[in-house]
Amino acid sequence: MDWGSILGNAIRAFVGTDAVYFALAAIGLNVQFGYTGLLNFGQAAFMACGAYGLGMTAQYFGISFWWGLPIGLLYVVVLGLIVGIPTLRLRADYLAIVTIATAEIVRLVVRSVRFKEYFGGSDGINQFSQAYRDLSPFEPGATYGITPFRFTGYTLSTLLPGWILVAIVSAFVWSLMRSPWGRVVKAIREDEDAVRSLGKNVYTYKMQSLIIGGVIGMLSGVVFSLDRGSVQPDNYSRDVTFYVLTALVLGGIAKVSGSVVGSMLFWFIFVFVDNFMRELTADGPLKVGGVTVIESTQVGPVAYMLVGLGLMLLMVLRPQGLFGNKKEMALDAR
Amino acid sequence: MSRPPTRAARLAARALPLAVAAGAALLGAVSPARAAGAPEASDSELAIVASVQHQELVGGAPVREPIAGARVIVTLEAGTPVAEGVTGADGTVRIPVPEKATYVVTLDQSSLPEGEALIDAAKGSVTILQDLFSTNEKRVVFFTGEASGRGASEFERIMQRLADGMRLGLIIAMCSVGLSLVFGTTGLTNFAHGEMVTFGGMIAFLLNVMLEIPLVISGPITIVAGGAFGLLLNWGIFARLSRRGIGLVSQLVVTVGLSIMLRNVYLFQFGGRTKQLSDYSKQINLEIGPIGITPRDLTTSILSLLILLGVAGFLQYSRTGKAVRAVSDNVNLASATGIDTQRIVRIVWFAGGALAATGGIFRGLDEQVGFQMGSDLLFLMFAGITLGGLGSAYGALIGGFAVGVFVEMASLVVPTELKNAPALFILIVVLIVRPQGILGKSQRVG
Amino acid sequence: MPAEPTSETARAARAALATVAPEPGAREPDPILVANGVRRAFGGVVAVDVAHVEVQRGSITALIGPNGAGKTTLFNLLSGFDTPDVGEWRFDGHNMSRVAPHRTPAMGMVRTFQLTKSLTKLPVIENMKLGAMHQRGERWWNALIPPLWRRQERAIEERADALLRRFRMDHMRDEYAGTLSGGQRKLLEMARALMTEPRLVMLDEPMAGVNPALKQSLNDHIRSLRDDGMTVLFVEHDMDMVHDVSDWVIVMAEGAVIAEGTPEQISSNPAVIEAYLGVHQGKAMTADR
Repeated sequence: MDWGSILGNAIRAFVGTDAVYFALAAIGLNVQFGYTGLLNFGQAAFMACGAYGLGMTAQYFGISFWWGLPIGLLYVVVLGLIVGIPTLRLRADYLAIVTIATAEIVRLVVRSVRFKEYFGGSDGINQFSQAYRDLSPFEPGATYGITPFRFTGYTLSTLLPGWILVAIVSAFVWSLMRSPWGRVVKAIREDEDAVRSLGKNVYTYKMQSLIIGGVIGMLSGVVFSLDRGSVQPDNYSRDVTFYVLTALVLGGIAKVSGSVVGSMLFWFIFVFVDNFMRELTADGPLKVGGVTVIESTQVGPVAYMLVGLGLMLLMVLRPQGLFGNKKEMALDAR
Repeated sequence: MSRPPTRAARLAARALPLAVAAGAALLGAVSPARAAGAPEASDSELAIVASVQHQELVGGAPVREPIAGARVIVTLEAGTPVAEGVTGADGTVRIPVPEKATYVVTLDQSSLPEGEALIDAAKGSVTILQDLFSTNEKRVVFFTGEASGRGASEFERIMQRLADGMRLGLIIAMCSVGLSLVFGTTGLTNFAHGEMVTFGGMIAFLLNVMLEIPLVISGPITIVAGGAFGLLLNWGIFARLSRRGIGLVSQLVVTVGLSIMLRNVYLFQFGGRTKQLSDYSKQINLEIGPIGITPRDLTTSILSLLILLGVAGFLQYSRTGKAVRAVSDNVNLASATGIDTQRIVRIVWFAGGALAATGGIFRGLDEQVGFQMGSDLLFLMFAGITLGGLGSAYGALIGGFAVGVFVEMASLVVPTELKNAPALFILIVVLIVRPQGILGKSQRVG
Repeated sequence: MPAEPTSETARAARAALATVAPEPGAREPDPILVANGVRRAFGGVVAVDVAHVEVQRGSITALIGPNGAGKTTLFNLLSGFDTPDVGEWRFDGHNMSRVAPHRTPAMGMVRTFQLTKSLTKLPVIENMKLGAMHQRGERWWNALIPPLWRRQERAIEERADALLRRFRMDHMRDEYAGTLSGGQRKLLEMARALMTEPRLVMLDEPMAGVNPALKQSLNDHIRSLRDDGMTVLFVEHDMDMVHDVSDWVIVMAEGAVIAEGTPEQISSNPAVIEAYLGVHQGKAMTADR
């Protein structure tokens, strides 16, 4: 058992690009779900908006890479309207159903052979980010930093801007939620009829929240696809939204820091558990008394099983997050 | 590629899982170790097994011949070549790969014998996702043969789709009753309902394939087990959460966690491959007018119809059924009239679980058993119960059936890979035009 | 016993209503709200079928009736929270049918709910500030630039604090609304509604779940609304309160208005007694008080 490498990997994951893109997606989801009470189960599709906005500049439009952001923004607005218009006047479940369905269809469309010329099919899109890479001051092959915080220049060129983006977006959401606008959406989360009776157009606020959260989710997709240097449809599957949701609940709902801390913790724990199990099964299946408990191919399912279990337990036992304070949550009149 | 999929291609698509399973069974991939309940002992190396088959339709049923000497290339996603091989006399080649990764398997179409071509030229390469590389062997089948659907007129194609749609619709309707009734009686939208369907498929596989109990006996056992599973979820989780005053939104998130957990439990135990149930796996199409259907599918369809009529009769005429409808209609009113709502909720979880498991068995027979079989249907179920009216039992029956038919009929014009997209269309249109669905209670719209 | 008019406005309201014939659909001298032929059915059940009803400006009007009489449904219709099958109503001359609920406060009409909707996870003061209309900082693009809304926010906060003092809730200012008692929540909801600066306040069962000690002060608060020039329309079960504070009473049964009049006129109206006794079995209002 190589504890050093397990811990090292876990610590790197704690601050790595996965934590960055999860944090952005979780901040967006927090605006929607945590603050406004919107059950957006299709955050993955909003992330895909960012990724494909970038990718399609090369794949289809043949225009400058930098157009990717406005294009992604446009996609987010269109997607937000598609899922929002039919559902935001109805009870919360409908948004969940429609977003999960829409996200799945979005994934099927972008990976389809039929629309390959636009979205690159199941292979995704690969050559698009050179313009960004060229700006990087880091040597892609060299490594920087001190162990365990050692990253290649390639990674750093998205990791550093990524964390800066997380900081900016966090400040943005923080100030938004301290404003009268934030007061309205938090009130909507609790009782939309009360807000309506006080003369606020609840529908508009929900739509704004959905799209603002979606745009932040889009930035997550941007960072992720820049880091990977490719846009892959299957990176935006249904479960990605749920893992982000788990990270959000882990850090604590309706707190700006919760999304960031939750995402970092999520990846720390996930990589730790995953690597630990991989070490256990590295020399063949782990057996207890002659019975195989787990083999290397089963490490993935077990890790995700724990994610599901964790989401259930956190939601019931600690919705305020692992380190949250219980006071506000105890006020739940439900 | 804008032409609608032909009958041949459609059959190929449907036959593909069968062929994969048949091949797997021949190679003994369903190892006896599994029967003892222990996870499969791992083979020494990872490999992709590619098979190239010539397929022809004889009397509506596909007949296949292996093609030898075809070159199959495995590359990484980025295009980096990894390995390649040439098919042997059995049309199959085993290509070892170094690690679990996302691979693209491509058939070198120029290596095919003179006059042979892929049925669907778009299926000349297949991507194997790293995530799905959960077993040591991944199988890929390429079909060659005549692409055009000779002998299938427009009318026949439409009728065949209609028949397929009705089959799918019956299964969706059966699976969704529980989803809708649990919502009606408790207000909970259960995102783990798909896993209750998969549960049926898994138990049927365990009993029928591993323990070799004929489906006639193991089927009913599975159905009861499905009901018990529903009860267990209610008793172990949701009844407790309601008693503790946990809100419905939180409970909904709990169902999401449950769904992830169960799906990965299935993946852990069962593996990522889809597998065939033992009974009724080899079937020849009956030709009924323009429609080809296997005796098995005909039987499951008739059984589904009978079960659904039974459910409707139960809800309409029995005392308990009336009580279920009353609770679903208005919980407070029903409990004020002396109905034991907790008992009704338990009945709904049991019946819903049993029906979902039945749907799982039939779906398993129809397609195959796989760890995602239920969650793949979840979205169609949601579309169905939204169309029919959330919370209404009859609505689930009608809506589920309608969605099945609509989706299959739409696939006459929609590419197969986007087959489920029309269901999203239904979902959105219903919510805009009539959010309470066909049979739902009209609700206030803010 | 009906309370003596305590203020000039009260006397004016009573004087105006004294001349009105006490019958269903009575025409009042200066109505702020007029509804015509409002009908709402759920499935086959007609919940509300009101031919004509008016609310006198500057009065406290009570809407009473046995359970299931359609009072709350009528409230929901008038405030836009439900849509009638047919019917129209005017508020201060504006046609309000088909006006979305969130638009009514801007026109000067605000409502509260039978089950209080205090926002439990917001502090009391934030609950109050939410009620203020036309807040610049409620637009998200302004929200990011505090200088654009900070001054307005301070003014709103002052107004909110003043109202809290008036309702004797200033000591709870920074507590979460979830920690308040039922009666305090009712008060908070009423105070929050006043933040919209309404001309007509519609209170749905303001006394439900309020402990007796608080009821008297709640009554005083309702009276003070009238004295400030507002019109109050409220749904109530508590007959003592109806007697105590209202200038005019509208009685509903089975969806329709069956009687109108001053509290004294209503308490001796045989149709009212029958409606209550028929449905409510003895828990009627006492005929003469």
